[in-house]
Amino acid sequence: MSMIIDARGLACPQPVVLTKKALEKADDVTVIVDNATAEQNVSRLAESHGLGVTVEEKGDGIYLRLTRPADESLGGKVPLLFEPTVLLIASSTLGHGDDELGSVLMRTFIHTLGESDIKPHKIIFMNGGVKLVTQGSDVIDDLRALEKESVEILACGTCLGHFGLKDAVGVGRISNMYEITMALMKATKVISM
Amino acid sequence: MQYSVILFHSITGALQAEKRLKEKGIATKLIPVPRQLSSDCGVCLRFQRADEFEVKKALEEERIDIQGIRSI
Repeated sequence: MSMIIDARGLACPQPVVLTKKALEKADDVTVIVDNATAEQNVSRLAESHGLGVTVEEKGDGIYLRLTRPADESLGGKVPLLFEPTVLLIASSTLGHGDDELGSVLMRTFIHTLGESDIKPHKIIFMNGGVKLVTQGSDVIDDLRALEKESVEILACGTCLGHFGLKDAVGVGRISNMYEITMALMKATKVISM
Repeated sequence: MQYSVILFHSITGALQAEKRLKEKGIATKLIPVPRQLSSDCGVCLRFQRADEFEVKKALEEERIDIQGIRSI
């Protein structure tokens, strides 16, 4: 989908805000600005998100065309610029107070998430949370079902290594701090359990 | 698939029953108590209704105190 944003005459940070909003929906956005500062800010936004930028100066303004290239690692799909919801699970139990209760709460939470109409875009497992994606975990079937419904399951490789569980991963894929940090920063909402 | 649930007075009771039933080869799943039911504790064990006879027998043999069994 392509969109044209006319940001001429608008003060900073409006051109960038409007561009971000457009990029949530479209993968080909042309932004028209009328000053060098706005041009630099929009260019910088595009570059920081790995978008292609072409700039054309015309008589009535500066036209920036931002395009999102397809990603081979996503099977040629165009990646989302912003991810609606990312769930961060950094422990195998939910909350503090009693670990037996915490484990029950985590199991029932993940079960309920599987039955919910609204699902996160990604679930990231870190620290003790990575135990949940390994063989023998009580929630592995629920997580596999979520993965089938296109929820991306990522587990911190450093954490799996620390617990000696790298070979025991039963769902999702092993990720790293760069990808995890980027996923959290791209999210419009992060739910941290 | 038709399911029933076992309701418990406590989470500890639910976990004990889950362990005993697993030892007897009966598959269950720990889930929140469905909205239409109420129980003393908020979690229950779901099982396939076809296993109901075996479940009841096992609970009796193991003298596990439950609040009840309901179909869902």
